[in-house]
Amino acid sequence: MVGVLIRMKLAVLRHSTTDAKMALNGLGWTAGICLAVTTLVLASFDFSHPRLLMDLLAVTFALWVLGWMVGPIFAGEPALNGEHFHRQPIPRLALAMGLLAAALVAVTTAITLLAFCALIVFAARLSWVAVVVSVPAVVLLLLLVVLLSRVVTLLFRMLAKSRLGGVVTATVTAAMVSLSSFSWVLIIGVYLLLEYGFPPTFSTVVRSLPSSWSLIAVEAAGRGDWLWTVGPLVALAVVVVGLFLAWSALLGPQRIARPVVRGSSAQQAARRGPLFRGDQGAVYLKELRTWWRDPVRTQGIVMGPAFSIITVLFPLIFGFTAGLPFVGAASALMAAATCANPYGQDGTALWLTLTMPGKEKADVRARQLAWLTIFGPLTLVLTLVGCLLHGDASLVPWALAATLAALGGGSGLLAWVSVVALVPGPDPHKSKNSPMDHGDVTGQSFLMCFLVALAMGPALGVAWAGHALDLPALLWASVPVALLTGVLCHVKLGSVAARTLRDKGPELLHLMRSGKSTSSAEETGEGAGKSPFGTMSGKRQTLMWSAMAVGILGLFPQGLAPLGIKLSGSQAKVWFLALHVPEPWQWPVIAVMIVIGLAGFWGAYLVYRTEKRRLQAAAAATGH
Amino acid sequence: MTPALEIAGLAKTFGEKIAVDRVDLTVPKGSFYGLVGPNGAGKTTALSMAVGLLRPDEGRALVHGIDVWEEPLRARRLMGVLPDGLAMPERLTGRELLTYLGQLHGLSAEEVNGRADELLAVMELDGSAERTLVVDYSTGMRKKIGLATTLLHAPKVLVLDEPLEAVDPVSAATIKRILKRFVAHGGSVLISSHVMALVEELCDTVGVMARGRVVAQGPLGDVRGNRSLEETFVDLVGVTIGGGEGLSWLAS
Repeated sequence: MVGVLIRMKLAVLRHSTTDAKMALNGLGWTAGICLAVTTLVLASFDFSHPRLLMDLLAVTFALWVLGWMVGPIFAGEPALNGEHFHRQPIPRLALAMGLLAAALVAVTTAITLLAFCALIVFAARLSWVAVVVSVPAVVLLLLLVVLLSRVVTLLFRMLAKSRLGGVVTATVTAAMVSLSSFSWVLIIGVYLLLEYGFPPTFSTVVRSLPSSWSLIAVEAAGRGDWLWTVGPLVALAVVVVGLFLAWSALLGPQRIARPVVRGSSAQQAARRGPLFRGDQGAVYLKELRTWWRDPVRTQGIVMGPAFSIITVLFPLIFGFTAGLPFVGAASALMAAATCANPYGQDGTALWLTLTMPGKEKADVRARQLAWLTIFGPLTLVLTLVGCLLHGDASLVPWALAATLAALGGGSGLLAWVSVVALVPGPDPHKSKNSPMDHGDVTGQSFLMCFLVALAMGPALGVAWAGHALDLPALLWASVPVALLTGVLCHVKLGSVAARTLRDKGPELLHLMRSGKSTSSAEETGEGAGKSPFGTMSGKRQTLMWSAMAVGILGLFPQGLAPLGIKLSGSQAKVWFLALHVPEPWQWPVIAVMIVIGLAGFWGAYLVYRTEKRRLQAAAAATGH
Repeated sequence: MTPALEIAGLAKTFGEKIAVDRVDLTVPKGSFYGLVGPNGAGKTTALSMAVGLLRPDEGRALVHGIDVWEEPLRARRLMGVLPDGLAMPERLTGRELLTYLGQLHGLSAEEVNGRADELLAVMELDGSAERTLVVDYSTGMRKKIGLATTLLHAPKVLVLDEPLEAVDPVSAATIKRILKRFVAHGGSVLISSHVMALVEELCDTVGVMARGRVVAQGPLGDVRGNRSLEETFVDLVGVTIGGGEGLSWLAS
C-alpha cells in the first residue's frame, strides 16, 4: 500500500509539473533551505540569557508549524487525497498510513527535517544522552507538522463549503499569514531580545505549544531530569496518534452536507432595478449575486480586511500606531491581490461571453464595478475608523490617497491580470464540494501586490513631496492625484482587458478547458498574442520572480516604510533595518534599499521584455 | 441555396496530435444533421471551431453564408450553441440565468419573462426547482438549462454537442419534439452524438467522423444503405468490436 501510494504520488507530480511551476517551486525550496539553515545556525549560537536559546528555538519551531498549516490554503490540495480512493475497498487506517508515507516523500518534508535537526544540534551541546533523546523527538515533531497540516486542510475544506465557514477560514488564514509574516521581526529585532529576552508570559505560552514539547524533552535530558524527558515525548506521541486517528476518520466520504444556498423567487428574478439595466447592468447583477452566494467569494471578501486589521493590531504591542490609518489601504491592496482571478474562478463559463460577441467590455466593467461596490465602501470606512483611532490628522491625506489609489489601481489591474495571467482551476460545479481545490494563485497574488503598490506610487509621491517641502496644500493634493490615477487605471486597464478578452477569448477558454495553454503555440505562431508569463522557460521565470521579490522587499518594507516613519517623526524603529543604524546612516540606507528595490523591478521587467520580444520575433518568423 | 452551416477545411493540431484534419461538412437549410463518431474522433473540437469557441489552425465556418471568425457579431446572432460539460454562471437560478442572457441578447423585459416562463416550464425547471442554483443542478438539469439558453434568442441554426446525454427519457422525449418542431418550421440543427438510435430517429442527414476526418456524409438513407447505421458506422470507422475475448477472470 505504502509503496503503491508513493509511486502514484510521484507519477501525479511528474505529469502535473510545468516549467513555470518548477520555477516557483525552485524559488520556494531555495527560500525554505535558507530558513532551515538559519534554524540550524540559530541552535549553535551562544546567548547571554540562559533561557533565550530555548525560547528562540521554540518560536522558530512554532513558525514552521504555522507555515505547514497555511501552505495548502494558497497552493491548493495535496497531490493525493482521501477522495481519490473513496470507491476502493481499502481500510481507512491502511489508507491513512499510505497517504502519510506518501506525504512524507516530498522536498518540503526534507527541508523541514533539515530545520528540525536544529534539535540535534541543540542536544549535542548538552550531553550525549540528550542527543539520543533528540532523534525520536525530531521524528515526532516532523510527524506532528505533516499530520497537523493535513488535518487542518481537511477541516478548512469542510468549513469552506459554507459562507459562514468561509468567513472563519479566511480569518484564521489571515491571522496565520499575518503571524508568519512577523517572523522577520525576530530576525531584525534580535539584539533587543539579546538584551531583554522574551517576556516571561510569552515564553510560557510558546513553550506550552506541542511544537515545543520535543525541545523541552531534550533540554530535560541534558539536565538528567527523566520525568520531564519522558513526559513531553509521550504527550507528543499521544498528540501525533490522536491527529493520525482524526485524519483517518476524516478521510472517508464527507459526512457534513454542503449547505445549499437558494436563489431568488420567480418574481424577484424577473424584476430589474434601475441599476441593472443594459448589458453592464445585467452582468453587474449576476456578479453581485455571485459575490453574495458563493462561499469562495465570501472568503475573498473577508481575507483582505482580516489580514490588514490583524497586521495593524500586532505592532500595537510595540506602541506603533502609525499603521492604523492605513488599514483601509492595506485591505484594498490585499483585496485586489486575492481577487485577481475572476475568470479563472468562473472557469469555462466564459463560453457564454464568447457566444455573445460585443459584450466583453460590459463584462469586464461590470466585474470591476462589482469589486468596487464590495470593497470601496468597506475600505473607506476602515480608513476612516483607523484615522479616528489614530487621532493624528497629519496622516489623513496619506491614508486617503493610499486607499483611493489602491482601489482604482486594484480594480484596473485585477481586470487586466485576470486575463493576461489567468490561473486555470477546476470548473466551479466540479469543485463545489472541495472549494480549496483551486489553481495555485500564489504567483498571481504576489504579482498583484507589486503592481497595485506601484499604482499607489504617484499619489504617495505627491504626498511625500508635500510633506518634505512642508506644503500642506501639496500634501492634500495627493488625494485628487490618487483619484485621478485610480480612475485612469480603472478605465484604461479595463479597456485593455476587454480588448484582450475579445481577441484572445477562445485561447483563454481553451486554457481553462485543458488546464494548460496550447502546446502548439510556438509552431503555429500563435505566440504573438500570448502572455510571456505563459511561455517563459523555468529558468527565466525563476529569474524574473526572484528579481521581483528583491524589488518588493527592497522598495516597500525596507525602503518606503522606514522613509514614511522617519518623515512622520516617529521614534519607533520596529523592524526596519534603516532605523536601527546610527542616525547619519539612516538616509543612505533608505536610499540604498530603494535603489535595490527599483533595480529588482527593473531586472524583472527586463526579463519580461526579452521574453516578449522573443515571442514577437518567433511570431514574425512564422509569418503572423 | 446557401447552407445553414458550412464547414470548409477546418483543422486543429494540439502539439503532436492532429485533432481535426481538414474537415468539410455541410448542413443544408431545414435539415436535421447528426454527426457521429467514436470517442476522440474530433467531433467536439470540430464543433467548437465551427461555433467560434476554439480558434482553428486553418479553414472557415459559415453560418448562412456569414463567416463565424470574420463577422462574429452577425454570425452568432443566428446560432444557438450548446457545448458539452462546460460551466455556466453557477450561482444563478435557472430563471435568473435566462433573464440575464435575454437582457444581453437585447430582448425586452416582457419578452424575456414570457420566454423564460415557457422554457422553464417545458424543461420542468420551475416549481420546486425554481430557487435552486445552477451549481446544484443534476447533470440532466444542466443539459436542459443549457438547451433553454440556446433557444432563448430564437436562433436559425442550433449546434448541440451531445444534447440528450444524461437527460431522463421523459425530458428527452420533450426535447426531441421541440427540436423536430424547430426543423419543421425551417430551422436547422446539427447535433453530435454517439447514440446511433437517436441519430436514426431524429436526423435526415448524417456525417461520420473518425480520426479527425469526415469519412462519410449525406442523407441518412444514402449513408446507411439497407443496413442499420450502427453496422455502417462500425464498417466506416474500421474497428472490430472487442469484448469477446480475454477477461476470463471476470465472473468465472
